[in-house]
Amino acid sequence: MGLIKWDRTGPLDSLAHIQREMGDLLGILGSAPQGERYATMEFPPIIVSVNEDSVFVRAELPGIRISDLDIQVVDDVLTIKGERKAVAPAAKSTYLRRERNYGTFARSIMLPEKVDVEKVAASYKHGVLLVTLPKASEAKPKQVVIQKA
Amino acid sequence: METKEHPSVEKRKITPDKCVITGKGDWYFPQSDIYETPDNFTILIDMPGVSTEHITIDLRDNELVINGEVSQEGYRDEKVLYNEYTIGHYHRHFVISDAINRDKIEAKMSDGVLSLILPKAEHVKPRKIEVKAE
Repeated sequence: MGLIKWDRTGPLDSLAHIQREMGDLLGILGSAPQGERYATMEFPPIIVSVNEDSVFVRAELPGIRISDLDIQVVDDVLTIKGERKAVAPAAKSTYLRRERNYGTFARSIMLPEKVDVEKVAASYKHGVLLVTLPKASEAKPKQVVIQKA
Repeated sequence: METKEHPSVEKRKITPDKCVITGKGDWYFPQSDIYETPDNFTILIDMPGVSTEHITIDLRDNELVINGEVSQEGYRDEKVLYNEYTIGHYHRHFVISDAINRDKIEAKMSDGVLSLILPKAEHVKPRKIEVKAE
């Protein structure tokens, strides 16, 4: 006979179980404090900052060759394109853990101010790309010459 | 090799309940790869922003502890308008076994990627056994 003894549990036991499960779920979802996560994350993550003379764009791009990077500025849009190549593993190697990623990426950033396209400079140090974009001198007052008719 | 789009990378913050954090700034778990070859194990760790002199690798008992600190110099007069990542230090530790020759661990840092080469101890290296003909 397939009779199973009914384990007499209180009516609230299952509720306690749900409560515990929900607590775990909330713990997972809420593990990062508010303001630490970004809804639309793209690679590479960037930081845009300004000072009096320039706009700075930094991007975390560990282990990339400069020749695999393409940086362009058109008007006030900065485009960072490139490819992060996977390390070709030596023969007879087996991966035990793989967390690092590789692949192509491209992203465009609308710059907060007009920049002098000719003077844009980029450097790559310790896996961080820094693009320095000097502000354009357009803010300076321009003398208008009046021509005699 | 086929090309694919690079997925976004989420920086995982080390929460204080997981370990004891001392010192200033936030700490993150860097992404790492581990692979094995017949002679050694290689660990690659992404630590963008860390220079060679700010990295410490300690071997305590069976634990290989890697800390990378990021200096925040150069941000002095800048105002941040938009940020998608936060800057912080990196910490990662691995438990290693007796299969590793501890005296010969090598570390190299280039372009924000730390590579650690852990040579296998002689007794675990694959060895070919010759069959003698009678």
